[in-house]
Amino acid sequence: MEKITLELLKDAAHRMMFDMSESEYETLLGEFATLTKQMEAIGKIGGLDEYEPMTFPFDVTVDCLREDVPEKPLDKEEALANAGSKLDGQIKLPKVVG
Amino acid sequence: MNFEAVIGLEIHVEMKTASKMFSSAPNSFSTQPNTQVALLDMAYPGTMPLVNKQAVINAIRVCHALHMDIDQLVRFDRKNYFYADLPKGFQITQQFHPIGSEGYLDVEGKDGKLKRIRIERLHMEEDTCKQLHFPDYSLLDYNRAGVPLVEIVSRPDIRDGTEAMHYVENIRNIVVYSLVSDGKMEEGSLRCDVNISLRPYGSDKFGTKVEIKNLNSLKNIEEAIDYEIKRQNALLLSGTPINQETRRFDEASKKTILMRVKTSAVDYKYFPEPNIVPIRLSDSFVEDAISSCPELYEQKKERYLSMGLSKTDAEIILSDLDSASYFEKAAKDAKSAKTVANFLIVEVNGYLNKNAVGLSEFPLPPEKLGEIASLQEDGYTHKQCVDIFNYLLNNDVPVEQARKSLGIEKQVEDLSLMLKAVTEILDANPQSVADFKAGKDRAKGFLIGQIMKQYKGKFNPASLNKMMEEELGKR
Repeated sequence: MEKITLELLKDAAHRMMFDMSESEYETLLGEFATLTKQMEAIGKIGGLDEYEPMTFPFDVTVDCLREDVPEKPLDKEEALANAGSKLDGQIKLPKVVG
Repeated sequence: MNFEAVIGLEIHVEMKTASKMFSSAPNSFSTQPNTQVALLDMAYPGTMPLVNKQAVINAIRVCHALHMDIDQLVRFDRKNYFYADLPKGFQITQQFHPIGSEGYLDVEGKDGKLKRIRIERLHMEEDTCKQLHFPDYSLLDYNRAGVPLVEIVSRPDIRDGTEAMHYVENIRNIVVYSLVSDGKMEEGSLRCDVNISLRPYGSDKFGTKVEIKNLNSLKNIEEAIDYEIKRQNALLLSGTPINQETRRFDEASKKTILMRVKTSAVDYKYFPEPNIVPIRLSDSFVEDAISSCPELYEQKKERYLSMGLSKTDAEIILSDLDSASYFEKAAKDAKSAKTVANFLIVEVNGYLNKNAVGLSEFPLPPEKLGEIASLQEDGYTHKQCVDIFNYLLNNDVPVEQARKSLGIEKQVEDLSLMLKAVTEILDANPQSVADFKAGKDRAKGFLIGQIMKQYKGKFNPASLNKMMEEELGKR
């Protein structure tokens, strides 16, 4: 398993176009260290390959479907509230196609 | 041709549900970007998907029409990729357990015979957002993000452009007449990608596959495939290997053009969608979805044929859902469906073409067209009925009132008067009689025309024609 380092976390964050403070990176690094330890501990258990990954805690099914009734959508301003850059009511991005 | 083409199609159909696949945002077109979105469509934390019931009903209806096995345990999966067209970072789809599998569709080939095209799978998923690309930046409109889709994947059983075109046409007819989608290829509500490779005849191995993306009309599908077969054929004959690549069709040059070369397959790291617990559809739910499906294209066509319409007339009327709906209302109480069809195809379509409008803007209600067609069955001439039709386009009055306002009376079958008229015109035109005897059928038309002109259309054309033939025969 690849070692989680400060450089790796920063590189991943920058690739996803965000950044954090140094102390936030340290916190995250600590969380990953704990997580890695847990994974290693689990990895020591034998015969794991015989089990299917578990997506749901209980093997149940439902018959729940949503009625096809539209509700009031977000106001345009709300929808775009988190967009860093906007133009003509749309989210503006750096060029993504060559 | 030394090679056989092996073609498979992937078709994405946008459903016309009222709300989106997993959110309650309206699924409606808006010219205002980012006005048809809910929190889920923008991937706000804590939002959870809820499966649209009507989308599932729609998928079942299409599965049934395509003779597919329906999986009553509905499960979804995540297709993970990091791209701005879906802000969640994944698309919810049905990778591992499509709702429909192993179906088929019979389509007409080049030789006019039916050929069975097997269909591998049909699954539900959500559409991505619309991107507009400019030289320096891109713009994102999330109105389309989350719109319900069905994707239909064929087996590679198609061999040429004509089969492919008919396959897509049949699927379009199914989704349009089941009211699942408006099926408008030019607007992107039915999108078709083609996978095509060539192999020597007799081989059971597949050649290198080329993908042609976003073909937006039936004609383009046929032309793009036929061009691509020729292109690959020429390359193979010259010993040049085919590249695995994605191409697009250029309408102006009628050629496929390279978009990008495929290097390696993208790993989407699919896994089961943990936010949607598997949904068990009851037998009655599936049965209801199927039994409540509106009448499909092929069923309607058969019915129209049984009503006396020709295959061509039926296909013209069925080429448009509004036209079929108008026809059925018009023919409901009319005395002859065939006469209604003639009026719709010639007079109504003539008006629509001339005025560049659709049936929704056509001023004459279908019931009135049915009444006009019935007048013709009652003995009024076609021309008289067309006059009434034209009058009603500009006057919102009952059909009977229009007839009276125009002073149109039913033709009286005064056979003695008709005989007198025929005798007089034959006596006065011996040359025309001689011409008819010499095999010139047009001479008969001329003589009838003279009588109709002189007597102002008083006689029933069919009766007059019959009597004219009889009297000419006696001379």
